[in-house]
Amino acid sequence: MQVVVTVVTFRDIFQNEAEKKSRYSEDYRKLSAQITLDKQDMAGLGVKDGQNVLVKNDVGSVVVAVKASEDDSHPGLAFMVNSPWSNQLVRDDVCETNIPGFKGISAQVSPSGESVTQISELFQRMKAQGA
Amino acid sequence: MAVCTGCSLLCEDIELTLKTGAISQVKNLCRKGHGHFQALFTERIVPKIDGQEVSVDQAITKAVDILRNAKHPLLYGWSNSALEAQRVGIDLGKKLGATIDDTSSFCQGILMELVLTGKLPTCTLDDVRNFADTSVFWGADPSNSHPRLLSRFAYYPRGSKRQKSYEEERNCLVVDVRKSATAKLCSNYFRVPPGGDADFIASVIDVLDGKIPKYGDKKRMIDLGTILRKTEYGVIFPGVGLVYALQDKIELLKTLVAKLNEITTFKVVPMVEHYNMRGFNQLLLDDSGSINRVSFHSGQVTHGPENSIMAAAKICDAALVIGSDPLSSLPFGTAKSLAGVSLIAIDPRRSLTTDAAQVVIPSAMYGLEAGGSAIRMDGVRIEFEPIVKSDLLSDEQILARIKEEI
Ligand code: SF4
Repeated sequence: MQVVVTVVTFRDIFQNEAEKKSRYSEDYRKLSAQITLDKQDMAGLGVKDGQNVLVKNDVGSVVVAVKASEDDSHPGLAFMVNSPWSNQLVRDDVCETNIPGFKGISAQVSPSGESVTQISELFQRMKAQGA
Repeated sequence: MAVCTGCSLLCEDIELTLKTGAISQVKNLCRKGHGHFQALFTERIVPKIDGQEVSVDQAITKAVDILRNAKHPLLYGWSNSALEAQRVGIDLGKKLGATIDDTSSFCQGILMELVLTGKLPTCTLDDVRNFADTSVFWGADPSNSHPRLLSRFAYYPRGSKRQKSYEEERNCLVVDVRKSATAKLCSNYFRVPPGGDADFIASVIDVLDGKIPKYGDKKRMIDLGTILRKTEYGVIFPGVGLVYALQDKIELLKTLVAKLNEITTFKVVPMVEHYNMRGFNQLLLDDSGSINRVSFHSGQVTHGPENSIMAAAKICDAALVIGSDPLSSLPFGTAKSLAGVSLIAIDPRRSLTTDAAQVVIPSAMYGLEAGGSAIRMDGVRIEFEPIVKSDLLSDEQILARIKEEI
């Protein structure tokens, strides 16, 4: 089971506040490692609010928790708070303006039995492949 | 009275009492600002080389060593440093023949350039409070990013010409992909699909020209045209959402603003995130003719996308990152490149970037532990004093020492 979505990133004051306390805190992870999905997409995937999903594309992948959207229906459109988790999916080979596509990330979402990706793992990925 | 450096509103009316290790009483701080002040007590760092604690002097000497031996040094960050530190940073860039870029390079840069070079009409936030009857938040959500913008300037306060305020005299419009917190609060929300902002602009221009709009709900677009036409003093606050959607079509915004100004008065104030991004852009523009993405390599000043953080991260052999956490905020590929070079991080607090850095130099937090000045999002210069005593060096002092030793 899989749905293809366009992920748009946004700012959240609660996540920002958690980051100011600690980027390594449980609060920050909970408020960052999250994807807001339309109810129709959730039904298609057979996932409920709070369950984990794998979000991946050709740039990278992360396991994050689902949050049910309270907005008017928007199938195919998903939202993630700007964070090291969403940045795993953002391309850096960009067009002429050299601005990465933070606001239109194409990705596939599927249910996952794994736990949410930890910040330490994101860091290891950067270090391991940095060179 | 303290100044909050939590966002580019630089609120100057903060009253607080500090006790050891905590804020005991505070007035006027928003949630974001409160988090910013609390940051004084969490995740503070010590000077390090290769993960081992050292003295500040040793860390600075090591940083000098790395920069002196680098063929392509990159200096990045800047929007969370005071003007005084940015000035020394630009001079350090020249001395090193380095590439210098700031966070505007991947957010508001292309828009800020139009404002700073006079290609888009702008105004101060005090003008907004006193005169504006229509504020348009476009791809921006101030309730989360600039929490006091609506209460101090754009919607709720009574200004000299706007005594009846939001109840009768002020319109607040939101154009966004997402029904944001600000959209829920404002009476007029216009949803655009991702990347649909160019079409939305075309439709607004159509209705202003008296034509039937090609995109969007025709009736709502015509109503929007009516609000815009009736506006006496309008302000567009573009956020990163609009900049990302338009990118190389940013000229469309210029066309729209020009069209609006044929009918009435309309200004543009970019929703700068970090408290002194505009300051850095202004300083570098005055100095080199460009607001960001500058290289001083071989004594030549060049400007272009090849000097952007995204491109420079891939070719630099050493990077000094100041007051910024690119490993968290930039795309994975760029973060990965930076994690692989000799990295020097100057920051008050721990981050993924300080964790990856070969050299870590702790700095004082501006506005809290160090004084200085910064340029608010609307171009107004704000001075601030430290509110707590600290032995930590400021960015300016650290950079001055590095520059002197090179
Ligand atoms: S609006 Fe910005 S500057 Fe004002 S208190 Fe909040 S974070 Fe600080």
